[in-house]
Amino acid sequence: MRFIWQTALKDLRRHRSEPFGFIIWLGIPLVIGTLMVLASGGRGGVRPHAELLVVDGDNTLLSGALVSALSQDNFGGGIIQAEEVSIEEGLDRINDGDGSALLIIPPGFTSAILQEEPTTLNLIKNPAQRILPGIIEESVSIFVDLTWYVQRLFGDELRDIAEGPSEGGGTFEDLFVADLSVRINRMMSRVGDYLFPPIIKLDAGPAPDESTLDVEADSEDKVSVNFGTLFVPGLLIMSILFMCQSMSEDLWKERDGQTLRRVTATPRWAGSFLLGKILAAAILMFMVTLVALTLGFVYFRFHIETFPLAIIWTTFSGAVFVSGLMVIQLFVSSARAGNIVTMIIIFPLMMVGGSFFPFEAMPEGMAAIGRLTPNGWALEQMKAILFDRVEPASLARSFGALLIVGTGLFFLATSRLRRAAS
Amino acid sequence: MIEVEGFQKRYGDLVAVDDVSFTAAPGEIFGLLGPNGAGKSTTISCIAGLLTPSAGRIRLMGHDVTTEGPRSRESLGVVPQDLALYEDLSAWENLDYWGSAYGLRGAHLRNRVAEVLDRIGLADRAKEAVKKFSGGMKRRLNFGCALVHEPKTLLLDEPTVGVDPQSRVRLLDLVRAETEKGTCVLYTTHYMEEAENLCDRLAIIDHGKIIASGTLEELRAILGERDLVRLSGKFDTGRIGEALAPLDGVELVQADELTLTIASRQASTKLSALFEALSSIGSEINETTLTRPNLETLFIKLTGKELRE
Ligand SMILES: Nc1ncnc2c1ncn2[C@@H]1O[C@H](COP(=O)(O)OP(=O)(O)O)[C@@H](O)[C@H]1O
Ligand SMILES: [Mg+2]
Repeated sequence: MRFIWQTALKDLRRHRSEPFGFIIWLGIPLVIGTLMVLASGGRGGVRPHAELLVVDGDNTLLSGALVSALSQDNFGGGIIQAEEVSIEEGLDRINDGDGSALLIIPPGFTSAILQEEPTTLNLIKNPAQRILPGIIEESVSIFVDLTWYVQRLFGDELRDIAEGPSEGGGTFEDLFVADLSVRINRMMSRVGDYLFPPIIKLDAGPAPDESTLDVEADSEDKVSVNFGTLFVPGLLIMSILFMCQSMSEDLWKERDGQTLRRVTATPRWAGSFLLGKILAAAILMFMVTLVALTLGFVYFRFHIETFPLAIIWTTFSGAVFVSGLMVIQLFVSSARAGNIVTMIIIFPLMMVGGSFFPFEAMPEGMAAIGRLTPNGWALEQMKAILFDRVEPASLARSFGALLIVGTGLFFLATSRLRRAAS
Repeated sequence: MIEVEGFQKRYGDLVAVDDVSFTAAPGEIFGLLGPNGAGKSTTISCIAGLLTPSAGRIRLMGHDVTTEGPRSRESLGVVPQDLALYEDLSAWENLDYWGSAYGLRGAHLRNRVAEVLDRIGLADRAKEAVKKFSGGMKRRLNFGCALVHEPKTLLLDEPTVGVDPQSRVRLLDLVRAETEKGTCVLYTTHYMEEAENLCDRLAIIDHGKIIASGTLEELRAILGERDLVRLSGKFDTGRIGEALAPLDGVELVQADELTLTIASRQASTKLSALFEALSSIGSEINETTLTRPNLETLFIKLTGKELRE
């Protein structure tokens, strides 16, 4: 027991030296939330965004694709707006404090990617802005990680496609296309070596049918429908997911830093070490939840008497989620793979699960799917606790489901820990 | 006290360690000397409970590491080859955490942390984050983390690889100081000077097997105070035996077409006779090295190759 607490304390002390993580966890959702509120609340229709200036020094198909990917409406959670500029204009504007960041795609970018040679994307951040350039950096670095993987896995195929059809001007031969698809197919099965998570589904809980929230309802003892009720819970879950991702990655620090080996050589049970790490994550999530709900109380008149239960619920579901991500981290073969797999899982979950767009604003079919995601389910329960009367029986069932899934994930992770250490 | 009996470890088809037995007693430094890939780390990992032995028995202070894992690790300290520290924490916090991992608490833990800090010479930097430390300081802290709970057995896996000479001397002094308190130390290395200077007894391991063991004197006796002469050039292996036969007290250790190793008492006095004998059968000699008997020469004698990579 003591060791669990000591381990949690140790992790909290380690996080103390990087308060920046804490700011990001709270900050990204807060920024997104503010933008959402402003965008839909219509203060003169102005929609603030991170303005990314892009210089395409390469001017090839691939760099063009990168530019247009960056200019997509939903890139970086819809806040990043890219604009293509010349290098002179870009540098001038960033020096004048116009734009959040300048991304320079170097000449030879495409050929470097195809030849699997190292290449550097240059990102110049506007020193006058704080959070927006950070968001851009994070988004671009995820993209770069993905490119690295695609390059690793499909390098040969990309080269073939880039070289074009063999006889001048024609289309690709059937045989070539068939061969290519067989190779890509084979490659996909090889991906298993890099990313080897068993398919883990967290949504073992009961479908939240009785407890769904009806925001249209208008009775006295319900909080009136406002942006706070629509956005704060979803954004809080987003914070929690970011935290879970980052805390699960910490296992790789323990692993690469050899401290996991040291723990394994002590008489302590591996599970108590893991529990300590989960506890540290839970404490941080507890604090973030407290902050978010306090904001809800101050700005949107959330009912404070619902807070204890809402905080316990959020923290507990966060702890289960972080256990799930830890299992993934313990099954993949590198920190990089762990980062990508968890990101690939988290982003769609946030999109569908009501964090970016509230369920109430989604088409009904999509919302129904969203409520079945683990985070969407947790979100619905949280909203029920905050804004509605929840039946104790249904709440107990939800907690029970969490406990069962959480216990399973925890023991799965514990059983992998010793192997991960050696 | 470490007792290893008929220990074997397989990785799939590869037998990394085979039929290894030795006993290391309290107050002694037992060395495991061998080249890279010999199976030293594998042995340490199995003793520390990181890996499960494929066969044989390992006991620490009388407790079997497989059947009584946690119990056996209670009075064990492990110094890993790579630094295993929390860089964001201070030296004090690192020691405190590892002490608590062995069940220490309260005033006793605080005192032990202070004592260890003193011993490893970091008392005045105790509150500083480890990431600001120099390499040598980190090495000492890495060692200190294994000492907080006053282990009766210490495992050190090549702790001086990549360490500057000054820090190395300090580290070895720290290891010696531990044994004076009655701690049993298992020390692995591929530096024979280190093994010679530090270890009371040692086992030489190659390809997962112990090829010789005993005190330094016992091991030297195997060589019989003979020097080793290593020759390189071109040799007719079929006729070497015949050429060397008339030479008194000269033993052929190893021969192939390019190298030749010979053991002899006072070899320097026999070199000219040796060269004559070899050239009489048409050998060409490009280079000659004469080595006084030491662990290196013993290793060459036993395996026909040099210890270093
Ligand atoms: N996890 C592993 N899987 C497969 N083979 C391994 C593993 N660890 C070590 N080996 C092999 O076992 C042998 C002994 O390795 P090791 O114990 O690390 O040697 P040493 O520490 O003496 O350099 C080597 O041949 C090495 O390649
Ligand atoms: Mg080794």
